[in-house]
Amino acid sequence: MTTTPEDHDGARYSRQARFRGIGQQGQERLTAGRVLVVGCGALGSVSADLLARSGVGHITVVDRDFVEVSNLQRQLLFDEADAAAGTPKAVAAAEAIGRINSGIVVEPVVADVTPDNVEALVAGADVVLDGTDNLETRYLLNDACVKARIPWIYGGAVGSGGMAMVVLPSRTPCFRCMFPVPAAAGSLDTCETAGVLASAVVMVSAFQWTEAVKLLVGDREHLNLKLVYFDVWENDRLDSDRLDPAPDCPCCGRHRYEFLDAGATSRTAALCGRNAVQVSPGHEVALDLRELANRLEGVGALTTTRFLLRLALGAHELTVFPDGRAIVKGTSDLSVARSLYARYVGV
Amino acid sequence: MWGSDVIYLDNAATSFPKPPEVAAAISDFLTDKAGNPGRSGHGLALAAQGVVSDTRRALASFLGAGDPARLAFTLNATDALNLALWGLLRPGDRVVTTSMEHNAVARPLFALAESGVAVHRIPCARDGSLDLADLECELRSMPTRLVAMTHASNVCGTVLPIAEAAELAHRHGALILVDAAQTAGVLPVDVTARGIDLLAVPGHKGLLGPTGTGALYVAPGLELTPTRQGGTGSRSEELRQPRQMPDRLEAGTVNTVGIAGLGAALRLLRNGGAAEVRAHEEALTARLLDGLRDIPGVHVQGTGDASRQVAVVSVTVDGWEPVDLGAALDSSFKIAVRAGLHCAPLAHHSIGTYPQGTVRLAPGPTTTPSEIDETLAALRELALAAG
Repeated sequence: MTTTPEDHDGARYSRQARFRGIGQQGQERLTAGRVLVVGCGALGSVSADLLARSGVGHITVVDRDFVEVSNLQRQLLFDEADAAAGTPKAVAAAEAIGRINSGIVVEPVVADVTPDNVEALVAGADVVLDGTDNLETRYLLNDACVKARIPWIYGGAVGSGGMAMVVLPSRTPCFRCMFPVPAAAGSLDTCETAGVLASAVVMVSAFQWTEAVKLLVGDREHLNLKLVYFDVWENDRLDSDRLDPAPDCPCCGRHRYEFLDAGATSRTAALCGRNAVQVSPGHEVALDLRELANRLEGVGALTTTRFLLRLALGAHELTVFPDGRAIVKGTSDLSVARSLYARYVGV
Repeated sequence: MWGSDVIYLDNAATSFPKPPEVAAAISDFLTDKAGNPGRSGHGLALAAQGVVSDTRRALASFLGAGDPARLAFTLNATDALNLALWGLLRPGDRVVTTSMEHNAVARPLFALAESGVAVHRIPCARDGSLDLADLECELRSMPTRLVAMTHASNVCGTVLPIAEAAELAHRHGALILVDAAQTAGVLPVDVTARGIDLLAVPGHKGLLGPTGTGALYVAPGLELTPTRQGGTGSRSEELRQPRQMPDRLEAGTVNTVGIAGLGAALRLLRNGGAAEVRAHEEALTARLLDGLRDIPGVHVQGTGDASRQVAVVSVTVDGWEPVDLGAALDSSFKIAVRAGLHCAPLAHHSIGTYPQGTVRLAPGPTTTPSEIDETLAALRELALAAG
């Protein structure tokens, strides 16, 4: 049992509350605030850490994955013991946060975010932070948040680059206004294929936390509503100008929530009698297996033929086909299969 | 998106495409006839009742069941098999079954064994065939209540001798339950002539109807304990489930919409339609088997003889895991097959393909010879590029 330090005269948050943008009233609003962090890898764990330290009263952390040793380079809430035990990330994050701040409520949810549960997850949140590792879940979050009119903050980092954007439903462009058509499965880099620098991640999380705090304390005037992009290695920086929502956007313009309706999301199926799961993209894909093989070079043992690409990953094996489907062997757990697909093929 | 440009060889799972008449009958039923059969006297209820009765009569005549009332509609063959097994067997009863059974038979029997039913499984040969001497030996060894067996394997298509098995069962005081999932609509199943006591059929495979339809035939004089009780529209004043068939086994409103579609399919299969389908599928199976024999690295499971099997052909290919081969056929060639264990792990143990299973090629009434040739060409390419 750890002892809780005494907090004389509100010393805990004093430096933050001294800041003019927050003040005592802002601090109280943070205490009353509810934030959902979707995905608790690199982005999510830094965001959740900052949210907890700043005294946000209720934090829900959702993740489907388990801590692995390759996470420790950038996923700041986790340590070697978590990786050795293979603790679910949401649980490890909640435990770590509990040690940082016992005065707030942290709720871990070990789950795959799907059309079935996303609306219940976002319900009641004041703001939702994106810590996911794939575009498909972002489109799903966008649908759910726009439908429920809950602000959410997109964030992504891969290689040395990072990108982030605040979405205020019906006021600013939504994720689909900016990126109307999802990139084809298997066409984008992931942290597993291109690597990632911790600094890029931390900068994105810092942006997300700052904008979330502005929203929670009610300072909308200072929100950064640009699509922010930077590269910490190439020294690039680009802030796109603020645009209006696209009137014909399927999501925020026409209120057709195609990802929530599950028609546009990838599908998983356990294969009869085999410790294997098939993941198929939700749209038609013509995958260039050679290009994917180039990206996966060095990640694990690779075999490529005209008909398939096979990647060995320890206990798992991914067999990817030209139509974008993959058979994930070594698991019958649909969410494990979806996670591996998102990380190595990309959705 | 599907159908037109796909070579569909998964008819053992469910037949596709369905005859257009099936879709038309369903649409017609929903538009004009969708009352609740047997529950009221108004026109829509009577129309629905007429459709259900017509389909029941057509199915009875198709299966050689004299009295249509001996057929109860079910959700599918699994539902019918469960109804037969749970409705008949009691602790202390003995069942003889085969090693080629689908989980629709094997799993209820496993559960019944846990509640005190003795289950003996006769091993079949590697080609899926059953030696009747083994069955006779088992029936001789101990009093047996039921022989529960498939008519044809859903893994390798091998047809089992149900008429002879029925005769043996009866000679030793046992009843026989036949799982006709792979044969109804294709092979003649004359329950009266063959002395079958209980027959389970799916509506959505060889009978070409929609999913959600099936039936259990119960021979005259045999009374099953219902596994569900409820409204039947008959003898409503009594709390006890009625004894008369089919009400006894049909509590709750049946799948009228699906039954309307099944009725349309049966009208097509009647008058020699099923025999044409069998001739067509047997020719396709022979073509497939011949072609497969010529491809190095391909191994055909089962008898290899189209006259001794239904249109269900299982293969393994050197260097390929069946699940990957199935995915490659679909991804690169748009050929839809099923790979793996086909819900019949015991059968794969019998034919020596457990645990990886096989790729199953199941042509249907609309499959063409050129589609078989395309499939053979695809398999030849894939066998060369062993994954």
